[in-house]
Amino acid sequence: MSDKTATRREFLGSSGALMGSAWVAFHLPAIRAAAAHARNALARGVTSFEVLTAEEAAELDAIAMQILPTDDTPGAHEAGVVHFMDRALGTFAYQLLSGIREGLEDLHGRIATHSAVARRFHDLDDDEQKTLLREIEKTPFFGGVRFLTVAGMFADPSYGGNRDRVGWTLIGFDGHFAHQPPFGYYDRAYAAGREGGPP
Amino acid sequence: MTRGARFSPRQEVDFVVIGSGAAGGVIAKELATRGFDVVVLEQGPYLREHEFKHDELGYLFNQEIMGPPQEHPQTFRRTEAEEAQLWGPPSPLIYARVVGGSSVHFTGNYWRFREIDFVERSRLGPIAGTGFADWPLTYDELEPYYTQVEWEIGVSGAPGPFDPPRSRPFPVPPLPVKSSGVLFERGARKLGLHPQPAPMAILSQPHNERSPCVHCGFCTLFACEVGAKSSSLSTVIPIAVATGRCEVRPLSTVYRLVTDATGRVTEVAYWDENGTEHAQLAKAVVLCANGAETARLLLMSESTRFPHGLANSSGLVGKYLMANGLSFAWGVFEHPLNEHKSQQVTRIVLDFYDTDPARGFYGGGGMDARFLTFPILFGLQDGVPPGGPTWGAEYKRTLRETYTHMMQVVGHTTSLPLQSNNVTLDPTVKDVWGRPALRLTYKDHPDDMAMMRFFQEKALEILDAAGATKAWPVPLQETSLVAHMLGTCRMGDDPRTSVVDRYHRAHDVSNLFICDGSSFVTSGRGQPTMTIQALAYRAAEHIGRSARRGEI
Repeated sequence: MSDKTATRREFLGSSGALMGSAWVAFHLPAIRAAAAHARNALARGVTSFEVLTAEEAAELDAIAMQILPTDDTPGAHEAGVVHFMDRALGTFAYQLLSGIREGLEDLHGRIATHSAVARRFHDLDDDEQKTLLREIEKTPFFGGVRFLTVAGMFADPSYGGNRDRVGWTLIGFDGHFAHQPPFGYYDRAYAAGREGGPP
Repeated sequence: MTRGARFSPRQEVDFVVIGSGAAGGVIAKELATRGFDVVVLEQGPYLREHEFKHDELGYLFNQEIMGPPQEHPQTFRRTEAEEAQLWGPPSPLIYARVVGGSSVHFTGNYWRFREIDFVERSRLGPIAGTGFADWPLTYDELEPYYTQVEWEIGVSGAPGPFDPPRSRPFPVPPLPVKSSGVLFERGARKLGLHPQPAPMAILSQPHNERSPCVHCGFCTLFACEVGAKSSSLSTVIPIAVATGRCEVRPLSTVYRLVTDATGRVTEVAYWDENGTEHAQLAKAVVLCANGAETARLLLMSESTRFPHGLANSSGLVGKYLMANGLSFAWGVFEHPLNEHKSQQVTRIVLDFYDTDPARGFYGGGGMDARFLTFPILFGLQDGVPPGGPTWGAEYKRTLRETYTHMMQVVGHTTSLPLQSNNVTLDPTVKDVWGRPALRLTYKDHPDDMAMMRFFQEKALEILDAAGATKAWPVPLQETSLVAHMLGTCRMGDDPRTSVVDRYHRAHDVSNLFICDGSSFVTSGRGQPTMTIQALAYRAAEHIGRSARRGEI
């Protein structure tokens, strides 16, 4: 089975599978533990990191802010995506951690070619950060950070990201799990006798 | 809630039903209400409605109710010439592992088959290289059971212009139309097509003491927390349990059907949740584990007498797998649709149901308007038009502007039965129980691909006619994700070319019945569950009658 596992990793690393996130391997008991852990941590007001070092967290936060930047609406930073990442990498996405660390190392190696002074990603200016990310945007490392960023932005807040539901609010998902018609503009018009609806 | 009757595994019951999904639930209810003792063995947990969550990360990405791929690995290859590789997530064969089976997480599209589906081979003639065949039954024979499904299971709908004859109206009216349905209707009418309300196994009004849909929007791949989705969990299983003659035994993983020297099944061997082995004695067994798991169990139950797997003298167990084709197109509109609200589908078009020789290839299908995405999935892929940015300010702006303004048109199409498309036992990979992993081998017939392409073009025409400000196709791909597992124990009169007879009795084993998607002879037009359940009602009636007459 080991040779097939290796092939699977190659597949997961390179494929745009249906879920788009297949690089991440999940684990059922751990994901439940992650949610419980995140809830407890939030309840205790914990803001420190348990898996990531402060520098790793600052770097991942900076990358996440490039993926979903803060403009007139909150971005990945305000959603607390890096806290989601910390908990994910300590629990259900633990298999990603070594790849993330290797990816950050590789990133630091590239920084020298972009800046004479900066050593860390979050020291680069905005343009330099963008240029560097464009260089690595096809790598499994970037795919993994992008997955964690998007998941941390839009997952149920119980996982520690999507704080104050800023991710859901951004796209117009209200997080209400019950609705009444009309739901949108066109079915409202239909019900009013337009759009071929009953008069 | 009660688990109903309790039987000792060493007590011989009238029937063991393996699987509690769309077919197993119906069979268990029908047999128990006819006075038989029934044990239902279900590999998943017995979750109740209030335990279900709107947790996308857990349900879609971790396959929480489908079973995580680490525990249930599957392998995939296109053709038998290749070595199958571990595949997913998502697993290539997706189904729910809970009491109620995949009916718990289905979308609920409940189209009846039409007359043509059962006799298409006679009408069109043979198709070289395929197992294209007529069914051993007709629409007229199945009609009363379709009606029974609509009333007992609970289907919301209204008659459509192409409906086959029906003996009773729908029990409850269609669900409220969504903006996607209105726009789909607008576009389809402009093209001279005939959109109609979608028949859905989701209640629009109270029915059979169940409450209606609250429009949470989390149907496909999720489970209904108010029991408005007409799953086996919320409909037939409670009735079966209430008879006091049916025990639903969850977390029971079957690994072998045990036969005696005369070739009859005597007991069903399974592990409980602690891994302890048990064997339930039974006079007869009804296997309803879905088109993948049913085939796996039969292949795993080989013996000296049945060297190629139980009930497999034809060599067809696991073969002729039909997945149904899927094609997708997205459209963006000027005003908000808010498609995340309410259930997935409200309008369908069935104008292209029949095979049209003028197209130059076999097949037909239907299409619907829907919005099958959720916030994470949307952010990862669905909110990103082809060639659009996948990160950065413009990416964020696209997500922000389009989530509430988008809809999909989806084509659901025929798959031809090919022996080269099948499920088999992987020779090396094992699941968490040590059972051989399911190995999927699948490559769509060229006509199936042509049909998907045809429907995708129609979808784009409809979106355009509806006034989409932007529309794009999701690139067509050969099937590697199968939610409809059809045809792997096909029914027929000839034991050399089919696995079960017209009443679902295995040709080779007189007290074994097999009823689920595996019984299908052809694929229909992409919405099989209605027909699976109609077959289950019909099968149960005959099984019960045979048992009474001592003919099992």
